[in-house]
Amino acid sequence: MTPRIAACSCRTAFGDAEATGAALLAGRRALALAPVLGAAGGDPVPLARCGGRALDEAAPPEWLPILDGLAREIPEGPWGEAGHPVFLTSSNFGVGSLHAYQQSRDTAHLRFGTPFLVAELLRARFGWGPDLTLLSHACVSAHLGLLAAERRLRAGTAERALIFSFDFISPFVTAGFHALKILNGAFPEPYAERPTGAIGLGDGAAFAVLAATGGGPAIRAQALYNEMHHFTANRPDGAGFDGCLAPLRPAAAGRRLWIKGHGTGTLEAGRLEAQTLARLFPDAPLVSWKGSLGHTLGSCGLVELAVALAAVRSGRIPGTVATQPPCCGPTVALDSFPAASCDAFVLASNAFGGAHAAVLVSHD
Amino acid sequence: MADALQLRLKQLIVSTLKLDDVKPGDLPDDEPLIGAGLNLDSIDALELVVAIEKEFGLKITSSEESRVALASVAKLAEFIRARVPAERLPT
Amino acid sequence: MIERFITAAAAEDPGAETPAATRERLQAAFPRGTTRRMTQLGLLIGSVLQATAPGECDAVIYASTYAENQALEEYLASFPTASPTLFQTSIHPSAVQQVLIARQQPVRELFPLTGKPGLGSRALALAALCPGERVVVCGGEERGTWLREAGSASEETFAFALGLSPAPEGAIGRLRCGSGGAAAAWDLRELWRRVRDRESGRGLDLELEWL
Repeated sequence: MTPRIAACSCRTAFGDAEATGAALLAGRRALALAPVLGAAGGDPVPLARCGGRALDEAAPPEWLPILDGLAREIPEGPWGEAGHPVFLTSSNFGVGSLHAYQQSRDTAHLRFGTPFLVAELLRARFGWGPDLTLLSHACVSAHLGLLAAERRLRAGTAERALIFSFDFISPFVTAGFHALKILNGAFPEPYAERPTGAIGLGDGAAFAVLAATGGGPAIRAQALYNEMHHFTANRPDGAGFDGCLAPLRPAAAGRRLWIKGHGTGTLEAGRLEAQTLARLFPDAPLVSWKGSLGHTLGSCGLVELAVALAAVRSGRIPGTVATQPPCCGPTVALDSFPAASCDAFVLASNAFGGAHAAVLVSHD
Repeated sequence: MADALQLRLKQLIVSTLKLDDVKPGDLPDDEPLIGAGLNLDSIDALELVVAIEKEFGLKITSSEESRVALASVAKLAEFIRARVPAERLPT
Repeated sequence: MIERFITAAAAEDPGAETPAATRERLQAAFPRGTTRRMTQLGLLIGSVLQATAPGECDAVIYASTYAENQALEEYLASFPTASPTLFQTSIHPSAVQQVLIARQQPVRELFPLTGKPGLGSRALALAALCPGERVVVCGGEERGTWLREAGSASEETFAFALGLSPAPEGAIGRLRCGSGGAAAAWDLRELWRRVRDRESGRGLDLELEWL
């Protein structure tokens, strides 16, 4: 059984997957400088938000209608009922609402501040049944949904599985990354060799439907690895990247690959990732889109999957938007290239704790 | 005579990082703060940066800059003196 | 039907023990100097994982409804000068990462779950689907303070861990998934209680049996 991606779509600051792909091909950057603490001010940092949404959480959150729009694109199905599990993944769920509560003491925010409350809200809103699994592992959250869904399909306990992922930025998360000194006043340039690193943060939401039968792009391999070396640093020898990416090589054999890397704009992780990928997949052009979209946190794996599939459909893969040479790896592609030059891609993401996740998808 | 700024920095390091079994006077002036005998890491460095920014009203903008500033207690004091008016420093 | 054997099990039931008392009681279970930044939940997860220590090829399923209540509360209180340590410590699945980083123990797979209804059963069901020689299922909560008063944190502190293997050698229990029937799913507290009390039973379509 080879899982097929029967449907996949997303929302970013640019709109849906097609609009996002087109904006990336045009070299546009969604990130714009905005105060790190929202209405409370603070240093300007690069953020990309959907539809001009305020950074501060409202009650109900302004991102709920964005999820409504996305959910309308999900194919009909008895989601959450027998044979149709739902995997809801997010890094933050609604934790920004707890920050809003702490600041305002308005108890209306509390209804959105805890993962299970947000899940129940979405379940009721979208008519999902009880077979709902919530996964939250920072910036590899969406990948875990894909892998858990694949396992249900392989076990024969699901015909189709829905993975739904979202992360909307708030002062909770922007202040945290600002305190880590990687969300600073500079715009990110993934894989660039420069004196200091920087990331941007963006809103993101996406879904994918995996099916045991039928057509669509195929998931050929998935892999995870958790270094547990340090919360915010990778092993300096790059062994963590290798531990996740090397197991994909058998499935990649004979394929003409391109790679959508994690590439947030931090220097050390970017170097390790680019160098490991160049060693393991020397012929595969490497791109990152976080210099434009920002890092959409737990949703990034699924958001970028939707954009990647839209790019394949459009016939052209966007390059690493916003990065100026020199780059830290020989395979980094700054410019777009034809989708037909490849027949599969690897999509890789990383998270706190040296967590690594990757999926290999063939275009057919 | 002990340098007042360095002494204050040592007190700040012990209290901010909850080094319960370390006395401020035990901290060396010229040895690396991060990754050496104290077993401090980059997260500790960032926590220290927040405390230093708060105490002395300066800004350290990137993780790379924080690494330079925190090379040692003496280097940190030098970094602060170069950026903070003398009247704001302990005497 | 998928069958897995329980090779090890542990539970922590600290009642109203304070975080400081938990640290004092459990610090010997960690390398020197590593408990300084650990949360109460991290310490408890570290304690229960001693019996089921995962290895590099293993999968870990970690479940918590509220996760890092205390770090979350302190992080929120640190605004507007947000604390970087508390930010990363407050993020799920920090507790299990604190432990494995302190012990420098890589693992192949880590699936951190959250949610409330049926969370215990969901964790077991996901564990049963993991390939490999061993899967560790662990989870827990720590009691909140002001967020608890606001109904957004755990009322209780507890932790548990189970080691699962496809092989029956040395088994102390058995887990059968897809065994038919649909009993009420177990939340995390109910699974913890059944581990602590070694109580057999059915939750969702799972059957837990202590041998």
